[in-house]
Amino acid sequence: MDLNFTKEQENFQIEVRSFLNENLEPQVVEKVKNGIPITKEDSERWHQKLNEKGWLAGTWPKQYGGQDWDVVEKFIFEEECGSAGAPRIVPFGVGMLAPVLMKFGSQEQRDYWLPRMLTGEDWWCQGYSEPGSGSDLASLKTSAVRDGDYYIVNGQKTWTTFAQHANMIFCLVRTSNEGKPQEGISFILIDMNSPGIEVRPIITLDGSHEVNEVFFSDVKVPVQNLVGEENRGWTYAKYLLTHERTGNANVAVSKRKIQKLKKLAYDAKKNEQPLSNDPMFASRLAQIEIDLQNLEITNLRTLASVENGEAPGAESSIIKILGSEIEQDIDNLTRKSLGKRAFVNEPDALSTGYNGAEVFPKAAAYASGKYFNHRKKSIYAGSNEIQKNIISKLMLNL
Amino acid sequence: MDFKPSPERQILFDTLKKYFENEYSLSDRNIAAHSDLGYSKKAWEAMRDLGILESLIDPELDGFGGTALDISTVFEALGRGLVVEPFLEVGILAADVLSRGNDAQKSLVKKILENECLPILAHSETDTEYSKSFVETKLSVEADGSYKISGTKRMIKHASEATHFLVTCRNTGDASSEEGISIACIPTDREGIKIDSFATIDGGRVSDLNFTNVSISSEELVGELGMSYSIVSHAIDTGILAICSEALGIMERIKELTLEYLKTRKQFGVPIGKFQAIQHRMAQLLVEIEQARSSVINATIYFDDETEREKTISAAKFSIGKIGTLVAEESIQLHGGMGMTWEYDLGHYAKRLVLIDHEFGDEDFHLQKYISL
Repeated sequence: MDLNFTKEQENFQIEVRSFLNENLEPQVVEKVKNGIPITKEDSERWHQKLNEKGWLAGTWPKQYGGQDWDVVEKFIFEEECGSAGAPRIVPFGVGMLAPVLMKFGSQEQRDYWLPRMLTGEDWWCQGYSEPGSGSDLASLKTSAVRDGDYYIVNGQKTWTTFAQHANMIFCLVRTSNEGKPQEGISFILIDMNSPGIEVRPIITLDGSHEVNEVFFSDVKVPVQNLVGEENRGWTYAKYLLTHERTGNANVAVSKRKIQKLKKLAYDAKKNEQPLSNDPMFASRLAQIEIDLQNLEITNLRTLASVENGEAPGAESSIIKILGSEIEQDIDNLTRKSLGKRAFVNEPDALSTGYNGAEVFPKAAAYASGKYFNHRKKSIYAGSNEIQKNIISKLMLNL
Repeated sequence: MDFKPSPERQILFDTLKKYFENEYSLSDRNIAAHSDLGYSKKAWEAMRDLGILESLIDPELDGFGGTALDISTVFEALGRGLVVEPFLEVGILAADVLSRGNDAQKSLVKKILENECLPILAHSETDTEYSKSFVETKLSVEADGSYKISGTKRMIKHASEATHFLVTCRNTGDASSEEGISIACIPTDREGIKIDSFATIDGGRVSDLNFTNVSISSEELVGELGMSYSIVSHAIDTGILAICSEALGIMERIKELTLEYLKTRKQFGVPIGKFQAIQHRMAQLLVEIEQARSSVINATIYFDDETEREKTISAAKFSIGKIGTLVAEESIQLHGGMGMTWEYDLGHYAKRLVLIDHEFGDEDFHLQKYISL
């Protein structure tokens, strides 16, 4: 057993840390650390800084402008970003579509789309879920019918994160009704400015606008925007989902949130004592801390097996379940620790231009909002029930 | 990064696993575990010949192991076999204490390896007080400079066949003070010792020991008078690492048994493992068992780190206590009536797994301890 980073990995960690130290904007970090949503412009400025350093897409091969990071380097980068309070890299382009294009796209598609992800010319969103197709994704109905050099797309996507910001969407569409539902799905890239596309916001229960409905009526998509082969889209979609699910441990983010929670609980009073001394509270907090410490090792064990050439497979489902539940536990306890202050919902309290009363503690501005917003964590990227189906099938062979 | 055991340890684990599968039948084990002795002397000797004890003991004392990783590897294998023989009591608790004693006491460790003695640590005193420093057994200094001890020790496993007792006692300090604790190593035939022994639910015998004015000499103290808390503490931490690893072995075996059952037992015309209600419970168990393993790995990593050891040990014991009980209860439920029978293996593993939470502090105790550290 050898749990140490190599000298090179340690040096890389130091380099990442000092880069973050020098380049993160304090007011953005404060938003992230208080759980308050950041703006599109906040994201774009950060992406640009990372791109100048060559770290926006560190896992990409060097030929496409990446650094060829292995799983451990990716882990180090993400953990350092998590503890520093850096904004998350918006994953749809660099993290999700790019691996699919590299594996299944044409050379022409790679040469055209990949550089535009790095420069920020394109902001991608993901067209997977439909009103009737959530966990049962393969039943999707949005159709693409070939007409000369175009596909004509009709249907509806939903839960589309950041469609309001995006100029491009990668979509799963039905190109055939023959055979099994999985065998008639294709993967295409659609310009969001095409005539016939309408985006309608879905406001979530916390009042925020992250997700949307996207309607397609007779939208013309050039055939060269088909990725790979027609009717092979399900394979590409599954490949993408495995990428989506790695890096869901969020250990560094959760650790940072626990530190923040401890500070809140120390400052809050119950029975004229710091809340952190309350046995019921201390017990809840300690259990989360132990779960997280165990997850950190579970996650490293998975990384080590990938590093040593074993496939990650369904282990990423274990990580997804644990990572999402632990983060939800922290959000839950953070809300509790605020007592009556948890009624407050002022997510703009840290935005420039906010002129309301100062919220104190700052974490209260969006603590309950965050708690409700993060119920999504056990639902998205394949609900935790779907993860258990995957574990049953692939690990337990049931 | 690499979480795999070294090739030597992997071979050791595989050898033991195979041995227990082929040579340590659970039905024979159960007869011995619930006999008057509480284990099988024949099995004990056969397993000693495999070098299990040596693998738990430092090379300086004629062993060939004794590191946290060695202990964890061996006890996971012992857990898989549901071994009831006194490896924990003799190979870990007594040997760890004696290894910190004088030359005569150290030589007792070598005698353990030669099967010439069976020393047992007699420490715990009340049924619900799990603190490592809780000792009320009194050590008094006599006029001639010799000592006498009086007090009661409770739930001491495998005590009835012991050759020596390592008795914790105190001459100063409150009942829970770390100051004032001594350990006396005395032969069990010394006058003034009474043993009441009981059958157990998970196999092996436990005893309450009463000491009335038992004479001891100063050479029989392990460590300095009143200064031996750190010796007891280290032995118990080592014991916790061992039984947490044992629990992992038990959980892995329970997982195998349960999966096999889910794939073969048919109801409504299909194996019951085809039902999603069953699949999700089993998937949850798998997730929890992986977390339990991570907690033990974490405790192993920090075992020799004086500042982190107790905290990671408590985190592991808490995790094992909580997850162990869940695994035991869920696996019985998933087996239905079969899980309730004496004849089938599962129940015996489940009983040991639940009772491990009652040794060296339960999940509540260790959660509180974790908070306090």
